[in-house]
Amino acid sequence: MSDHPTEHGPSRTPVPMPTSASWSDPHMQPAARHPAFVERLIGFTFVVGLLSFCAFGAAYWQNWAPWALGLTLGAGMLFVGTGITAWGKYLMPRGPFVEERHVLQSSTQDVEAFTNALVERGATPVKRRKVLGGILGAGMGVFGIVLAFPLLRSLGPLPKNTLATTDWKAGSYLVDQSGNRISQYAYAVGSILTVFPEGWEDQDRGQAVDQTILVHLEAEGPIKGMPAGRSTWTPAGYVAYSKICTHAGCPVGLFERELGLLICPCHQSMFKLAEGAIPIFGPAPRPLPQLPLSIDADGYLYASAGYDQPVGPGYWERP
Amino acid sequence: MDPSPHSGVRHVIGAAVLGVTVVLWLLSFAGAAGAATHKGSPPKVEKQVIPPPHPFYDQFNSGTANSSKRIFGKNGQLLVYGDTDVMYYLPQVLVKDKTPVALWSLGEQLYAQNCEACHGVDEDGVPPAGTPAVIYPNLVGLGPATYDFWIESGRMPAASTPQTQPMRRPARLNQLQALAISDFLNTKSPQCPFCYAASPLIPNVQDLATANLSDGAALFALNCAACHTITGDGDALAYSTFAPSLRDVPATQVAEALRTGPGDMPVFTGNLTDAQLRDVVAYVTEKIEHPQNPGGLGLGGIGPVAEGFIGLALGVGLLALVGFWIGDRS
Repeated sequence: MSDHPTEHGPSRTPVPMPTSASWSDPHMQPAARHPAFVERLIGFTFVVGLLSFCAFGAAYWQNWAPWALGLTLGAGMLFVGTGITAWGKYLMPRGPFVEERHVLQSSTQDVEAFTNALVERGATPVKRRKVLGGILGAGMGVFGIVLAFPLLRSLGPLPKNTLATTDWKAGSYLVDQSGNRISQYAYAVGSILTVFPEGWEDQDRGQAVDQTILVHLEAEGPIKGMPAGRSTWTPAGYVAYSKICTHAGCPVGLFERELGLLICPCHQSMFKLAEGAIPIFGPAPRPLPQLPLSIDADGYLYASAGYDQPVGPGYWERP
Repeated sequence: MDPSPHSGVRHVIGAAVLGVTVVLWLLSFAGAAGAATHKGSPPKVEKQVIPPPHPFYDQFNSGTANSSKRIFGKNGQLLVYGDTDVMYYLPQVLVKDKTPVALWSLGEQLYAQNCEACHGVDEDGVPPAGTPAVIYPNLVGLGPATYDFWIESGRMPAASTPQTQPMRRPARLNQLQALAISDFLNTKSPQCPFCYAASPLIPNVQDLATANLSDGAALFALNCAACHTITGDGDALAYSTFAPSLRDVPATQVAEALRTGPGDMPVFTGNLTDAQLRDVVAYVTEKIEHPQNPGGLGLGGIGPVAEGFIGLALGVGLLALVGFWIGDRS
């Protein structure tokens, strides 16, 4: 910045600093003046840390148990770190320190030269600021547009009826997660099973939307006490409901046999199995949708119709 | 001691009380001896009509009389069924040193002593008049595995006050007594072949060491973890019921519970084949009951609450102390 450094000599004179701390330094701690014990203690922690690191190496090499790895590495870091901290804390001079330095105020000549230079080159910096500002504006503009992408993306395509429908159709056979059909003779009373429509058991959409809980509730069907219009939905004592909770979409997987309840593990909504899965406790607002069941001539269960309403939690424009 | 003027009277009363107690005690033995020589005998078993195994018995009704191996007694009674993975036994087959009649008599006597007050003389859950009116389960038709599970897990005979859900505790009756009661109660059930789907005989898991633990873990996560949690420590359910801890359940009781569904537990007959049952039993008895805890400390296996508490209280507290030490200007 300055073309004539020698003219400003007095303000550039280095302040003399002590070359090393002396034993008489007032900042020295008592421990640093008589260091024998503290040095030995810190040395001991370093040695323990060193040994721990060695043990960690051996543990890694010999494939010891995970807790041995963690213990040795942790102990090594703890002891070395403690030693370093104690070294800095007890063996080093501690502040507050005062450092002398030159006068900060610029000389009159410096101020004049800088002012002249600024005025002479006045035009260029303004142009540069325009370019910089343009680039900055472009960057922020792109950023803003990109931020709007999720908003724009959510405008389409429309989900249409994918939220309202499942892959259960009239005649869909019930299968387990391995694709085996469900025989009415194979499951003891009190059994529970997660079932899917045949062909969808290994699909992502099938696993997510179509999962249905099948319970062999009574020895003989149809089950008494089901809501009106569902008298034929529970042949041979089997009953099937959507496994997706109508509150927040958790899998309603807890079956209490004697109480006849399905419980959602997330927020403890309880559904009464023998009465159309009406919610009797918890935040679930609606019964679980019920799948109408039928049994073919060989005794295999199939859906006599799909779900008559959207499964899972509510959404805008839910019919 | 200062002799009291009435000490002689006291001695006479004390001796009388002692004498009456001893006589009553001796009479109680006589009563037990009388019960032991009860003239009851097991009802005659009628010839059962059991259809031949279904062609798909390995997929169908695994754990029921529809099994590949079946052994019948002299009177046509089904004594043993099962396959290479799990065998199911009538209690009288498991007891070697007692005749079936003696076992049945012992069961009848033990039932009268331990169970009748609540479950009734007809085993149907109607207690004798004069006992508190609480609904007790009907025991008819539940099957030997159910009886054996409840007695050997210490849940029955129940504590004096009725509980919402009896808890596992040291068994009051030994294995022989449990088998005797199971045998006695089983003769009260109507004989029908596929009743075994809901009332199986006592399972005995074969070759547990050769089970597939990996499959067992997957089946446990799919079927058991929802209620018992993935660590098997159990959790609360509805109406003061709970899924109990699986930490110290013997292999036979795990199998019995899976096949009979005690209390609120579902029945896993049909859902699990005998081979899968063996995998789950092996996983529970080997991995759940002997957790490895790779982190070093299990903290009860009850999830993030305990871990978070330890992390906050110990970890952050310790770090704060270290921070104070480093930053302190001595």
